[in-house]
Amino acid sequence: MKILTCVKYVPDAGDEVGFDSDLRLGRTGPSSKLSELDEYAVEQALRLKATMDDATVTVLSVGPADAEVALRKALQMGADEAVLISDGAIAGSDVFGTAAVLIAAAKHLDEVGLVMCGMSSTDAGVGALPALLADALGWPLLSNAAEVSVEDGQARIVRTDEVGTRVVTAAPPAVVSVTDQSGEPRYPSFKDVLAAKKKSVTTLGLAEVGVSADLVGAGAARVQVTAVVRNPERAAGRVIVDVDGSSVDDIVEFLAAATK
Amino acid sequence: MKLLLFVVAIAVTVAVAVTLAAVALFVRGALTLYRRIAAGAPSPGRLGPVGPRLGAMITEILSHRRFSARPLVRVAHWVVMVSFILLVPTLAIAYVQVLAPDAELPLVGGWVVWQWLLELFSVGGLLAIVTLFVVRLRHRSDPDDAAAARDWRSRFFGSTRWQAYFVEAVIAVVLVCVLVMHTLRSAALARYPETAADGGWAHYPLTFWAGQLFWNLSPAALDAGISTAAALKIITSMIWLGVVGYATTMSVAWHRFLGVVNVYARRERDGRPALGAATPMLVDGKPFDIRDIDDLDEDATFGIGSIDEFGWKGLLDFASCTECGRCQDLCPAWNTGKPLSPKLVTLALRDQAAGGAHTGDVFAALRSSGVQPAGAAEAGLVPTVINPDALWACTTCGACTDQCPVDIEHVDHLINLRRHEVMVKSDFPEEFGSLYGNLDTKGNPWGLPPRQRFDWAKGLEFEVPVLGVDVTSAAEVDYVLWVGCSGAYDEKGKKTTRAFAELLHLAGVRFAVLGEAETCCGDSARRTGNEATYQGLAVQNIETMAEFGVTKVVASCAHCLNTVGREYAQLGASYTVEHHTQVLNRLIREGRLNPVAPPEEERVAITYHDPCYLGRHNGETSAPRELLAAVAAAPVVEMEHHGTQSMCCGAGGGRMWAEESLGTRINAARMDEAVATGAATVATACPFCSIMLGDAAAGRDAAPAVTDVAHLVLAGVKRGLDNPTQPKTED
Repeated sequence: MKILTCVKYVPDAGDEVGFDSDLRLGRTGPSSKLSELDEYAVEQALRLKATMDDATVTVLSVGPADAEVALRKALQMGADEAVLISDGAIAGSDVFGTAAVLIAAAKHLDEVGLVMCGMSSTDAGVGALPALLADALGWPLLSNAAEVSVEDGQARIVRTDEVGTRVVTAAPPAVVSVTDQSGEPRYPSFKDVLAAKKKSVTTLGLAEVGVSADLVGAGAARVQVTAVVRNPERAAGRVIVDVDGSSVDDIVEFLAAATK
Repeated sequence: MKLLLFVVAIAVTVAVAVTLAAVALFVRGALTLYRRIAAGAPSPGRLGPVGPRLGAMITEILSHRRFSARPLVRVAHWVVMVSFILLVPTLAIAYVQVLAPDAELPLVGGWVVWQWLLELFSVGGLLAIVTLFVVRLRHRSDPDDAAAARDWRSRFFGSTRWQAYFVEAVIAVVLVCVLVMHTLRSAALARYPETAADGGWAHYPLTFWAGQLFWNLSPAALDAGISTAAALKIITSMIWLGVVGYATTMSVAWHRFLGVVNVYARRERDGRPALGAATPMLVDGKPFDIRDIDDLDEDATFGIGSIDEFGWKGLLDFASCTECGRCQDLCPAWNTGKPLSPKLVTLALRDQAAGGAHTGDVFAALRSSGVQPAGAAEAGLVPTVINPDALWACTTCGACTDQCPVDIEHVDHLINLRRHEVMVKSDFPEEFGSLYGNLDTKGNPWGLPPRQRFDWAKGLEFEVPVLGVDVTSAAEVDYVLWVGCSGAYDEKGKKTTRAFAELLHLAGVRFAVLGEAETCCGDSARRTGNEATYQGLAVQNIETMAEFGVTKVVASCAHCLNTVGREYAQLGASYTVEHHTQVLNRLIREGRLNPVAPPEEERVAITYHDPCYLGRHNGETSAPRELLAAVAAAPVVEMEHHGTQSMCCGAGGGRMWAEESLGTRINAARMDEAVATGAATVATACPFCSIMLGDAAAGRDAAPAVTDVAHLVLAGVKRGLDNPTQPKTED
């Protein structure tokens, strides 16, 4: 079974992010890398593989040629092969355009049993991609997993939310998205880094996976960014210094105002 | 008379029999050890050049300078060592004396100088061995109770007690035999007028007086006494030889031979301990270089994961351990209740090389520090032989290696073990995962944007020129100021960098920085075993500095000082790197900076915490003290541990980035020592130390202020500028 893991090459969230004049993320400013949330998906895919007899992990990305950096990182972590769908026509795509390419790629590749994703990207942060993939493929979606396993031919996840903990199962093929609670991604050993140098990244264009250029790119985008506004700087908090209990009233007043 | 002959006959028979058995056992043991050590991986460059190595070996052994922290033990051990050497020929002649009690050594026998030497070192050796025995008793420990309460106050905890007592007892018995033989021989000669001169005090300066007690014994009785003592001396010596030959892991005894070779094969030929630069990582016997990554063999392995991957010098280290525990005694991890003892690591590896069996004392101590010793020789070292908690507790402070009298290279061994864990197994404390990620992608441990690296200079009243922006070549300046990650990103560190830059500016020193082009020196990566990340950073820095022709560097971080100054040379780059305290000290001596002490009523006592990578690793303990004395108009108040015997702040070896959940906190223990001096200020000279001690001070009610030396110097210089009429502290 092939575990297809979708990863995104994103601007480093810890760096200062700039925007181009058309309000798209500036690709030239900050350094870019494999999205941290997608590292969790790669990690879970690798852990699943270790529990299965005949599984392989393929990482898949849609992005510019530089996105090979993100795929290389996943290969160092232990993924078996990497596919990059890169095409000038894709630039400016929204989540629907990206999903269309990924869906086509998933169909193009053989024996995909599970599609794994991070819970969201760290740049645009839409978080809808796993659901779009599952819908279009007609596969069950096991979303926001904190634990993933495959037992007796069933994919099984544990999801914890404000209501409680749910255990959800589905028969593959299925789409699984994992959260940042699923387990820390590994730091590749140098042996793994060396081994990854021998692995190659397959780059395909739109035509090769059979996606019409009309479906992707800025022209086809259904999501329009109309403004980008910087968050106001966080104001300094108020410090109440108290040694003898005289400021109890101040604290009560503050709490009352805050909870009103 | 018949009885006497019978005694002699028995003595001869036993002596010969015991000797044959003992020599056979010893030869077998020596061959076993030779094969065990020679089976190690290559240790390139450790056998030659013969001349300088012999010179350094003889100097170190004769001076006993590694013992400088323990003057009494130094003298006692030196005397015992010399008497052992002197007594070897007397053991040879003892075989003759069993039959012919009046036999003398050829050439030197009966020579006054030789006889005085023998007498002095026999009595001295006896006193010395009793002294060492008492020292051992005073540091008692009971490994049998170890599981319940580990006694880390004793440096002998975990040392095999019977072996040490046995060795000491043998020395005492042999020396008593020698003195008895001398006493009786003196009596035999001195009682007859024709030989009186040869048996007088001039020849037997100490035993002559006791010999008078035996003047009325018959010559035959005296001869029988000498024969018996000679036989006893032989038998005792041979029992020692046999036991030692049988027990190849009895390194407290083997150190007499192996320790000498180990000192000869030491890492640093100039006599320094194996500190400063970490040992290069060898791959197939050659130093690893990330720039040749494409030439690496597919099956290449990194670091040390099993006992047979140690170089022969490592195996010789383990076999030479005297179990004296001086390493353990000063280890900051051990002294704060962590499972790491450099001695126990050494003994565990020694026994592993020999097949895995421990003595009861070693076993009990290892078990109490969390290891479940496994006999399987093919097992990986971590976690079966070395407890991962012990491996990762090391701060690489170097106190162990600095103290070791036989030049065991503990720090290098632990770094090599870590390399295997990180680079082959990817198995390390979780915190290091984000450290490595940050270093790989951002070039600093905090993961802050590289473009903020030069923010520390914002708001300064003078320009700090950046190489490649404001100046084109390092030849235009006196120094390149190496800022370092702490100096660029940490709030405290930034303040220190600003203070030092201001001092350079005030002194009229021309300097420039690398600005955003500088990246982490790689110390934390290297010392946690991530040689690949370290070399990636180092190569980047080396290329940047080559671009601007950098040769002279000044750093305010002791780790940067060590890494850029000593370790980049392993990658083919060479710079003169000085520490900011050294440069400041020189600027004051040249009169370019004139600090003024505070008025008397404002003066406070200052204590100084030696950063390990400045003091022990780079031998600089005086410059910061001279600076402080100049600024405060008084010498610093010393803590219990200071200078080369200083105690780590807890941040070295990458521990800066890891939680400290075992035992008590090292920085708190160090702060206890600072508080005990009564000083109001703890000065230090490394940003890691400032952070660690600052945290420790923040955690207690009344604590001294923690500050970098640079701040105190700047305050003094500003006092001088504000009030130039005050007398200078310099004459």
